[in-house]
Amino acid sequence: MRKILQVALREYVETVKTKTFIIGLLMVPVIIGGIILFAGRFSSDQGGPRPPMRVPVTDLSSAAWPQIQAAFDQHNRSHPGKKVLVEALEAQPNPDAVQAEAKTRLRERQIDGYIVLDKDVVTGSGKVWLYSYKPRPADLDGLWTVEGILQRIVVDERCKARGITPEVLAEIRSVSVERVDVGSTGEAQRVEGRDVIGAKMMVPFFFMYLMFMGVAGMGQHLLSSIIEEKNSRVIEVLLSALSPFELMAGKILGLGAIGLTVISLWAAGAFAAARGQGLEMEVTAGLGICFVTYYILGFLLFSSILAAIGSLCNTIKEAQGLMMPVMMVSIVPMLAWFKLVQDPNGTLARGLSFVPPMTSMVMILRLASSPDIRIGEILFTIALLAATVLGAIWVAAKVFRTGILMYGKRPGLREVLRWLGQS
Amino acid sequence: MEAIRLEQVCKSFGDVRAVDHVCATIPAGSLYGFLGPNGAGKTTTIRMIMNILQPDSGTLRILGDDSVEQAKARIGYMPEERGLYRKMTVAKVLRYFGAIKGVAEQDLARRVPAWLERLDLAAWANKKTEELSKGMQQKLQFAVTVINEPQLLILDEPFSGLDPLNVDLLREIILEMRQQGKTVLFSTHAMHDAEKLCDSVLLINRGRIILDESLAALRSRRRSHTVCAELEGDTSFIERLPMVTAVTAEANRMEIRLADTADPQELLRAMVDRVRVQDFEIKVPSLHEIFVDLVRSSNAEDPSSRPA
Repeated sequence: MRKILQVALREYVETVKTKTFIIGLLMVPVIIGGIILFAGRFSSDQGGPRPPMRVPVTDLSSAAWPQIQAAFDQHNRSHPGKKVLVEALEAQPNPDAVQAEAKTRLRERQIDGYIVLDKDVVTGSGKVWLYSYKPRPADLDGLWTVEGILQRIVVDERCKARGITPEVLAEIRSVSVERVDVGSTGEAQRVEGRDVIGAKMMVPFFFMYLMFMGVAGMGQHLLSSIIEEKNSRVIEVLLSALSPFELMAGKILGLGAIGLTVISLWAAGAFAAARGQGLEMEVTAGLGICFVTYYILGFLLFSSILAAIGSLCNTIKEAQGLMMPVMMVSIVPMLAWFKLVQDPNGTLARGLSFVPPMTSMVMILRLASSPDIRIGEILFTIALLAATVLGAIWVAAKVFRTGILMYGKRPGLREVLRWLGQS
Repeated sequence: MEAIRLEQVCKSFGDVRAVDHVCATIPAGSLYGFLGPNGAGKTTTIRMIMNILQPDSGTLRILGDDSVEQAKARIGYMPEERGLYRKMTVAKVLRYFGAIKGVAEQDLARRVPAWLERLDLAAWANKKTEELSKGMQQKLQFAVTVINEPQLLILDEPFSGLDPLNVDLLREIILEMRQQGKTVLFSTHAMHDAEKLCDSVLLINRGRIILDESLAALRSRRRSHTVCAELEGDTSFIERLPMVTAVTAEANRMEIRLADTADPQELLRAMVDRVRVQDFEIKVPSLHEIFVDLVRSSNAEDPSSRPA
C-alpha cells in the first residue's frame, strides 16, 4: 500500500507540473466563460449589424401602408444596425405586372424581400405574402423581424376595424406572469426571474459536465502517462520494484486525486462566479457526497479501461483509435441532457442510469435536477457501478500485466482474451 | 545458500524456444557472468528471474523465495532497456525509485547524495534527466539499481554505452559489492569485461546452458597448447620435435603449437638444453576463444534446434 501511495504521489506532483495540465485547468473555465459571454451578447442584439434590407410593399388593401411605414421607421430608429427599408410599390394600374416585376428584381437581388398584402387582409381573412429569393442565413433574422412587425400591424388594424381602440388593445395584450417559488416555509417564497430559471436548467448540466471533464480529461492524462512510461522504457525498472497491479493502482489513485482537485477548483470558481452574478444556487451536502461517490466509481471504471488500452498501445494515436468507442458511450448523456433534465425520472433517464459507463454522469444530472430520486435507486446504481468497477479492474490488471511489456505489434483481441485466462 | 535457482525453466515465443530447460544455481556471494551470443536467451532468462515474464514451465527460487515479488526490495535490477523519467530531476528520480523499493525516508536522505557523489553526478542533482548525456543517464540508472542496497544485483549489459573511465568506476563498485558479500549476476557479450570481473560464467546458446563453471576451473581444464617463446641460437630443431605440431616465427619470437597430449614443461626442458631462452609463455586461453569455440561446437552439434 505504501508503494501504491508513492506511485500516486509522484503521478500527482509530476502531472500537476506539466504545461498541458495547467493549460487544460485554465482553458476549460475560460472557454466556458467565453461561450456564455458570447452567447449572451449574441442573443441580446441578435448578432452584429448587417446591411439594410430593401423590402418594397404592395398594399392591395390600401389600409395598412401608413402604419407599416411608421412601424418600420420606428424599428430603424431603435435598431440602426439592422435597418429594413420599406417603400410603397403602387399596384396601379396593373397589379399583376407590378408583382411580376418586383419578383424579377428580387431574383436579381436588387431587393431583399417583397411584401404583398391581400385586398381583404384587414376586413376578411386575406394573407400577407412575404416573398424572398434563396434567402441567406443572414437574411432570415431580418425576414423574421419583418414578419413580426407585419403581423402586429394587421392585428392592430383588424382590431380597429372591429371597434377596439389601441389603448384597449394594449391593456388586453399586457398580461404579466410572475413565477414564484413557494420555498419550504411561507416566508422563503421568492419571485424568480428568467435568469434563475435558466440557471436551474444549467446547474445539472454543469454538474454532469464536471463529471465528464473529471473522468474523461483525467483518463487522457492516465493514457499519456502510461504510454510515456512504455516509450521511455522506464516500465521495466518500475516493475523490478513494483507489481504491475501496484503500478496501475498508484497511477489511477494519483490521477483520481488530481481529478478531484480540479473539479473542486472549477466548482468553487463557478459557484463564486454565480454568486457574483447574483444567482443563488442550492447545492446540498447530499449532492456533494453523491458527486464524490459517483466520481470515484466512474473514474475507476473509465481509468481501468484506459489503463488496459494504454498498456496495449505504443503511441497516443494508436490509443485514441481504441478509445473512440469508450468516449462515444460517455458522450451519450451529454447529447441527451436536455431530455434527461426535463424528465429526470423518465424511462430514458432511468434506463441510462443502469448502463455502468454512463451511470455516474446520468445520475448526477438527475440528482441535480430533481430532489425526488428514490434513495433505493441511488444505492442500487452505486452497487451496480461498484460491481462493474471490480470486474473492470480485474480484467484491466490482467491485460495491463502482460500488455505493458509488449512492444511492436499490438496484440489482437483473441490474444488479449487468452491473457484473461492466465493466472 | 543460493541466490538464484532455476529448474527446468522453459519459455517460448511463438515457434521460437527462447529458453530451453535451463537449470542453474547461482550461489550467494558469487560474481557470475552471464554470457551468450545475441538472441541466446540471456534477457529472457533475466526477465523470468525478475517475474517480468512468466516461464511456460519450470520453477525459479530467488533469495529463498518462490516468487520474486517478496524479494523485490532486496534485489537491484538494471534492465537492458534503460528508462528514466525524462522530466524529473536526477535527485528526484533516484529518491522516487528508492521510495518504491521500500527504502526509508531517512536512509534516502543519506544515500541519494552519497551515490550521486560516488558516480560523479552530484553537480547534476537538480537537472532533468533528459539533459544528461547517455553515459551519465547510464550511471544514474546504475544508482537507481543499487539505491536499495540490494543483496542480489542483476545487471543486463551494465557496461554498454560507458566510456573506459566509467567502465572502471562501475567495475570497482561491483567488486566492492562482492566483497560485501552480495551476489552479482551480470550479462554481457564483451568477453574482456567478464574475464576481468567474474568468478564464474554461465554460457547460454540457443536457449540452452552450455557451460556453468568457475573461471579458474575453466582455464585449467581448457589448458592451452600454444607456447610463445623468444630464443637465442639455432631454433630449427624445434620444428622436428615430436611434440610440436606447428611453428610460426617472427624475428626471434615464435609461436609453437603442441600436440594435445604434450606437456609444455617438456618443451621448455628441450629448449634450455640447446638454446638460450629469453622468454617463455604458456598462452592462457582467453574467454573470448573459449566462448567462440564453445558456441561454434554447440551450434555444430545441434544445427536444427532453432532457426539461426
